[in-house]
Amino acid sequence: MPLVEHAVIAVAGLGSRLGLGKPKCLVEVAGRRILEWQLELLRDVPDVRLVVGYQEQEVIETAFRLRRNLTLVRNPAYRTTTTQQSYWLGARYLEEPCLYMDGDIIFERESFLAFLESAALHAPLIGITPAKTQQAVFASVVEGPHAPFRSVTSFSRTQQTPWEWANIACLPPGLLEENGRDVFSRLALHLPLRAQSVEAFEVDTEADLAQAEEYARKIRAAS
Amino acid sequence: MKSDTAFCFDLDGTVTRKEVLPIIASELGLAEEIGFLTEMTIRGQIPFEMSFRLRCRLLAEIEVDTVARIVEQVPLEDPIAAFIRANPKNCFVVTGNLNVWIARLAADLGCGVFSSSALVRSDGKLGALTHILRKSEPIRELATRFKRIVSIGEGFNDLPMFEEADIGVAYGGVHPPARELVNNSTYVIEDGDTLCRLLNTL
Repeated sequence: MPLVEHAVIAVAGLGSRLGLGKPKCLVEVAGRRILEWQLELLRDVPDVRLVVGYQEQEVIETAFRLRRNLTLVRNPAYRTTTTQQSYWLGARYLEEPCLYMDGDIIFERESFLAFLESAALHAPLIGITPAKTQQAVFASVVEGPHAPFRSVTSFSRTQQTPWEWANIACLPPGLLEENGRDVFSRLALHLPLRAQSVEAFEVDTEADLAQAEEYARKIRAAS
Repeated sequence: MKSDTAFCFDLDGTVTRKEVLPIIASELGLAEEIGFLTEMTIRGQIPFEMSFRLRCRLLAEIEVDTVARIVEQVPLEDPIAAFIRANPKNCFVVTGNLNVWIARLAADLGCGVFSSSALVRSDGKLGALTHILRKSEPIRELATRFKRIVSIGEGFNDLPMFEEADIGVAYGGVHPPARELVNNSTYVIEDGDTLCRLLNTL
């Protein structure tokens, strides 16, 4: 199976909406930290980079216990920077495509691995998921033109569609910018972009956490 | 890896898998004394220069060549040593250790070296210290020759090297890097292969 060489996980943020007083990557879902779930999915990706900020000491220690060959990238300005800026820092100097994902998401395994496989050959590729979160960025999606992929033609916070931006993308170098705001706003400049569905449970609120728990418990029970 | 970049490596606990001085010390029966001083220095509890002078005093009665032979046997972090050997013109060892102790090891790595220096007496023992390296000095010098400086280290005494560099990599391959150094770093890495993979992408 072809593989994405590089992955950046953004875990620098405060996670203030969830309000558990710790970085969201360290929040437990069905008995495992979100970071553990994600690193397990990225087991075969050689270069995994974690962009850390809030409570970085604790995140760094936990991350190295879970996987020793990680690269921790520091974002000391995490309070005033965006996820795009963390992504940019994480992949700075890379001259190959890189997978970017937020560190507060439980991904469904099969669809995630399928995305990873497609991403290795077809960057740029962006993740979409059936709309369900409270603060969704809705994506307008059409079939083709690069079958079997769909394409995202626009993003909107207000115009509801069946799909939302899944906060995961595999992008070539140079697409993100150092001082950019939302990642989807940046991607919007390059639409239409190839898209693939990934079942994703983003944990922004207590309600999201409950949904992610329910899914993760099912997986644990099945394994 | 770009040719306009200089990679500056701390020696003890970064290029070497063990701290050099404690190995010398245990060979010579001074492990406890040197170990105490080293620990205090890594934690930043005594100034590097004071600690270094004391450590040199403790080792002054041993022939320089004996120490150099011990240093030559210190195990290296293989991926890092391989990276240095593959890029000798861009790699520099920056160490507070004495030139006369590390000369053989440095020759083996084949890269540039910035170190403290001392004279050797006619009886082969350590003479006067002629220079105690502050790790910011070589970085400033290299900055006139290279566009970009990457510093790699683990101890409190690497801080001046990080402050002057464009990119600092706190390396915890041998022991966790000093907190202050992490706070001044761009990257934190625990594994030698991972470090070299990163350096190759810079």
